[in-house]
Amino acid sequence: MAAMEGVVAAAAAQDQSQLQQQQQPLKAVERLNPAVQQQLNLESVKTRAISLFKAISRILDDFDVIARTNSSPKWQDILGQFSMVNLELFNIVEDIKKVSKAFVVHPKNVNAENATILPVMLSSKLLPEMEMDDNSKREQLLHGMQNMSVSSQIEKLKTRIDMIGAACESAEKIIADTRKAYFGTRQGPTVIPTLDKVQAAKIQEQENLLRNAVNHGEGLRVPLDQRQTTSALPIHLVDVLTVADSGQTLPDASGMYTKNTPPLSSNNINNQGTLLQASGAQLIGRAAASPSGATVSTSFDNTTTSPLPYAHSPRSGANMMNTPSPQQQSQQQQQQQQQQQRQKMMQLPQHQQQLLAQQQFRQSPMPGLGQNQLSQLHELQGQTQQKFSSMHGQHQMQFSQSLGPSQFQSRQLPSGSIQHGIGQSQLSQGNQLNRHLNQFSSPANSALFNAAQATPNNQMISNMSAMMPSQSLLPRMQYGLSGANRALASQNLSDQTYTHLGFSQLKLNCGWKIIWVNYLGVALAVFNIGAANSGTMMPMQQQQQHGSQGTFGNMPQNAQNLQPGPTLIGRGDGGVGGDDDGDA
Amino acid sequence: ARVNCRVELKQLLMECVVQGIIETQHVEALEILLQGLCGVHREQFKVHELYLKSGPNLGAVASEVRLLCDLQQPEPTWTVRHVGGAMRGSGAEQLSVLVRTMVESKVGKNVLRLFYLLGYRLDYELLRAGVAFHFFRGAQINVTVSSVNKMLKLHATDEAVPVTPGIQLVEVTAQASSENYTEVAAAMSSFCEYLAPLVHLSKPGVSTGVVPTAAAAAASLMSDGGGTTL
Repeated sequence: MAAMEGVVAAAAAQDQSQLQQQQQPLKAVERLNPAVQQQLNLESVKTRAISLFKAISRILDDFDVIARTNSSPKWQDILGQFSMVNLELFNIVEDIKKVSKAFVVHPKNVNAENATILPVMLSSKLLPEMEMDDNSKREQLLHGMQNMSVSSQIEKLKTRIDMIGAACESAEKIIADTRKAYFGTRQGPTVIPTLDKVQAAKIQEQENLLRNAVNHGEGLRVPLDQRQTTSALPIHLVDVLTVADSGQTLPDASGMYTKNTPPLSSNNINNQGTLLQASGAQLIGRAAASPSGATVSTSFDNTTTSPLPYAHSPRSGANMMNTPSPQQQSQQQQQQQQQQQRQKMMQLPQHQQQLLAQQQFRQSPMPGLGQNQLSQLHELQGQTQQKFSSMHGQHQMQFSQSLGPSQFQSRQLPSGSIQHGIGQSQLSQGNQLNRHLNQFSSPANSALFNAAQATPNNQMISNMSAMMPSQSLLPRMQYGLSGANRALASQNLSDQTYTHLGFSQLKLNCGWKIIWVNYLGVALAVFNIGAANSGTMMPMQQQQQHGSQGTFGNMPQNAQNLQPGPTLIGRGDGGVGGDDDGDA
Repeated sequence: ARVNCRVELKQLLMECVVQGIIETQHVEALEILLQGLCGVHREQFKVHELYLKSGPNLGAVASEVRLLCDLQQPEPTWTVRHVGGAMRGSGAEQLSVLVRTMVESKVGKNVLRLFYLLGYRLDYELLRAGVAFHFFRGAQINVTVSSVNKMLKLHATDEAVPVTPGIQLVEVTAQASSENYTEVAAAMSSFCEYLAPLVHLSKPGVSTGVVPTAAAAAASLMSDGGGTTL
């Protein structure tokens, strides 16, 4: 009976399903399923049950008689009968068990102990949390597919299962492969792919490079003087590194961010890409690399040799076209002004453009100028531009031979060397130049010059620029230059000189050698451009070749005939002659 | 003027870090593996790192600080980070990850100017560009797979070139404190074992090389058959 009870517990569901099946086809008569019926074999079970019943009742009667007559029972016999009965019962139960699911319900009656649990047992609804879980899982599974038909949902689910199965397989494969390899290496001579020695060495080298770069910065450090600033700072640094307030210099240590670097003019010029501009930019770039004021001279010494290795490198153009530090970029005023100037330049013929550009260059390598001074320079520049346009006709004589860009490209004019080269001898020639200046000086110019003599300070620059009339000063520059090269004085140079040469000479007298040298350098560069092409420049050339030592000695001499320029500046005898460390 | 400032450091912030290298051709496979392991989507990762060193005016011993500018966000966000020395001792040597002090903080964009005014100079800078995964697996772990780029011109992040074009750096880091770094280190090591088919990870400074079988592992991850024989 215990066995039966155990089995019966599961009968409920089966019973219901059976009932449903039966109810549908046969509503009226409830009969047992034919299969169940057959299996059950009711007749035989009935017979056996009856015989069992009879056997048991016989045993009971015997016990009754024994009890009444007080005779001792024959235990052997009784036990034998019991065992028979037992066996018979067991067989019947076994048979019933097979089909009991169909029609037996347990527990049969509701009583105290199962009253509470019975509803739960009977219910086919899931527990609430189980139901929620079930729903969410179903939702997840059928996400997006509920609109489709059941068959397509099934298909999709199947494909999904397949994909996951494939992924699992590949993962298994990887694990197996790795295990094989891992154990292979451990166990010695098994075939595992080893990298080619050469390849391994290369990778090792690269790895060291990378690790050292990341962890220690090796290979990433650029010395201060070789750091080149870009024309356009990335967005996240534009407003961080721009310094609107002038006059404050960041400490020397942060070298590249000094404010005393050239203004934006050179920057824009570089962007334009004309090589005339490039040459000036080179000078500017060098100046940009130097730290502020006081140590400028030493830095120039340092930079004399640095550009030379790059002279012929394909990137020399890029190298030399240094743009000023970001600080200059922030000077919006100058930017706008230069853009205007550029537009003007574009409209002018090329040689005039050259002149204008040179003028711009001349203004740019002026480290130490504050912003207001720079703006004054721009005013000056504007004035000179106007005058240039008026001197159009005169220009043509001098600068008709306009150089193509290629010629400028060959020109490597590190301003450091220029300045270095020019040096002290320029000072000595200052007097000669002064004389020249005075010959041609307009009243304004001489006034300026005298003022310069008298007041050696930075303010003079701004003062001079303010005072400087435009046209009349132009001739002077040239002559000032030619004063440096006696041979040139005899040439038929027109009155077109550069204002700034005289200007810068004045400054030199006041002690601003560097600035003057910068100016001179640029002016000379320009001058030599024209010079190289004009027939009257021969004497100069001789002189230059003669003096091809010193700082510019190594300058690359290209096929183009621009040689005179650098060497002249660097070295000429009696000319620029600047072998000196006078600026030290 | 006298300024009194009180700073209390309850816990010393530390980080556990390991590094490894992977060939650029296998980076995609590694990303797939990481995505499967971490359960999070990869994030693009682009950080401009500036390493500043203090000048002589700030003391005898130069201190280093790193400024990180996250360029991936629409608005660049700056972080300052100080990385200290690695933990030493027998306990540290037994760990397979490097544990070192690290303090970092988000800062405003004027941080660079501030440090320059303090006297710090730019020592070097680099740009990391790649992908990153941030997830929790025993500890909050961050994995970055990135190419390390150097800038030829100062701050020219748009023109940066890789230091090693064919190899990228894989870095796994997790923040820890002085009290729980062992657990964090253990969590990290167990995670790193899963990456063994593609990349060997080790303490920074320890050279590992590439995984010889990485190609096979990558091929099987890339679902293009993967029938390469070992």
